[in-house]
Amino acid sequence: MVEVGIKMAFSLAQIAVVMGIVLLTVMFLTLAERKVIGWMQDRMGPMEVGPYGILQPIADGLKLFFKEDIIPAGANKFIFSLAPILALVPALIGFAVIPFGPNMTVELFGVQVKPFVISDINIGILYILAFTSIGAYGIILGGWSSNSKYSLLGGLRAAAQVISYELNVGLAIVGVLLLAGSLSLVKITDAQTGWFWNWFIFAPPFPQIFAFVVYIISSVAETNRLPFDLPEAESELVAGFFTEYSGMRFAFFFLAEYANMILVSCIATSLFLGGWNAPAPFLQFHGSLAHLAWLSGTIWFAAKVYFFLFLFFWLRATLPRLRYDQLMRFGWKVMLPIALGNILITSIAAYLFPRG
Amino acid sequence: MAKSLKSWLKTITFYEILVGMKATLKHLLHYKPITLQYPHEKRTLPDSYRGMLALLRYDDGTEKCVGCDLCEAACPSRVIKVVSAEVPGEPTKRYAKEYYMDMTRCLFCGLCVDACPVDALGMTREYEWAVYDKRQLYLNKQQLLAIGDRSFPVREKKLELQHLNVAFFNVAFKHLPPKEG
Repeated sequence: MVEVGIKMAFSLAQIAVVMGIVLLTVMFLTLAERKVIGWMQDRMGPMEVGPYGILQPIADGLKLFFKEDIIPAGANKFIFSLAPILALVPALIGFAVIPFGPNMTVELFGVQVKPFVISDINIGILYILAFTSIGAYGIILGGWSSNSKYSLLGGLRAAAQVISYELNVGLAIVGVLLLAGSLSLVKITDAQTGWFWNWFIFAPPFPQIFAFVVYIISSVAETNRLPFDLPEAESELVAGFFTEYSGMRFAFFFLAEYANMILVSCIATSLFLGGWNAPAPFLQFHGSLAHLAWLSGTIWFAAKVYFFLFLFFWLRATLPRLRYDQLMRFGWKVMLPIALGNILITSIAAYLFPRG
Repeated sequence: MAKSLKSWLKTITFYEILVGMKATLKHLLHYKPITLQYPHEKRTLPDSYRGMLALLRYDDGTEKCVGCDLCEAACPSRVIKVVSAEVPGEPTKRYAKEYYMDMTRCLFCGLCVDACPVDALGMTREYEWAVYDKRQLYLNKQQLLAIGDRSFPVREKKLELQHLNVAFFNVAFKHLPPKEG
């Protein structure tokens, strides 16, 4: 009984820490995105609130918190209120299975606990895919229940886009699963220890570089970011599916988008770039500092995740939005065959040269 | 064949996208903003800047405007309304008894300034004219004269007191900037 209590308390503490870090990262990202894109476009970004605008996220949060909460006439009130929660919860829930650091156990009051993963379930990646699919419902229902043509069109686009690219995400990671022989993100990351050529993006017998590219492009599309931001295309659809939302409900959609960005970056890091593993063993704390290996591990993990987040901003500052038919053709006629071919070749290679 | 192979290679390696991303990264690394922090720092305006319109006076304080209505005729958006009248006691001279400008409609094209035969209109460098009530932008003669007084503190001599040539050229070459002193 005591054991269960301690485990639960520890899990709750982990959840609180992870949620805190994710929400802080979201706050930081909102500022970083505006700053990075501003710098890329020879602008300054936000400069007013605090020195160099660093307090801008706090001002934005306060503003959203105190804004009037409007429910448009003719909207389905229940679904209108439900949709932001449906969008946010799946985005946050996926972090439960991400290994943020080395797979180690710590004894706490006589109970073995894993400090760097909230729950090491053996179907981790499947769990994430299932929940991110639910996130699409939030967008679709939000678009439908607003009783606005822009929202409805945004929701419809989101539905088609998320379904198309969800498929590519699923197929792209199959190669990695074949090589790792597990669906648990902890085991997948553990299979990539050592030098950087053990990472699945470069791994023998067949490097997953194609799967990696397909995954990155599809995950950009899945999080509705530029150049695939058709559901919220502001030049065509005002704000897409959240046109009618204001105040905290809008903030929920906003949080969901950024949390999704962090989530797909974490998955890409864990699956393809070795998670918390350093590129070379000597870049991790070792020898007399081996008890601090978790510190370098989490730092490497954060560095890789932030690289992907920077890539999101970079793409947004560079590329224009795709047309709808281009998006669909690219997803079904280019990404899908590449992903399928990758599965075929990887399975043949994994059969002929099984990993030790 | 080689050409199509090359373009195919460019397509599958996202060559064009990478070129674009290199360009944005270059701007990020050589960060040199071209924007100004507007309310805190302001641009240096060019000499020919066309800002708020103003009515001008001669150096003895009399209004330049002779009430000829040419500005009203020249204005493409019907901003100006002039009510002309005789100068009391001087039947040969006229002046603008009332002069209104509806600045909500003004395009700042400067045609009224060009049209004025006596240089009675001037374009100042004022541009921060946002107001909470747009009726405040319906300016009368006193307000327009006040704008002119604060923007053109150095006034011209009265027309009949100027040298003949100067008076002539003032009328003839309207593209010259208004004289200051």
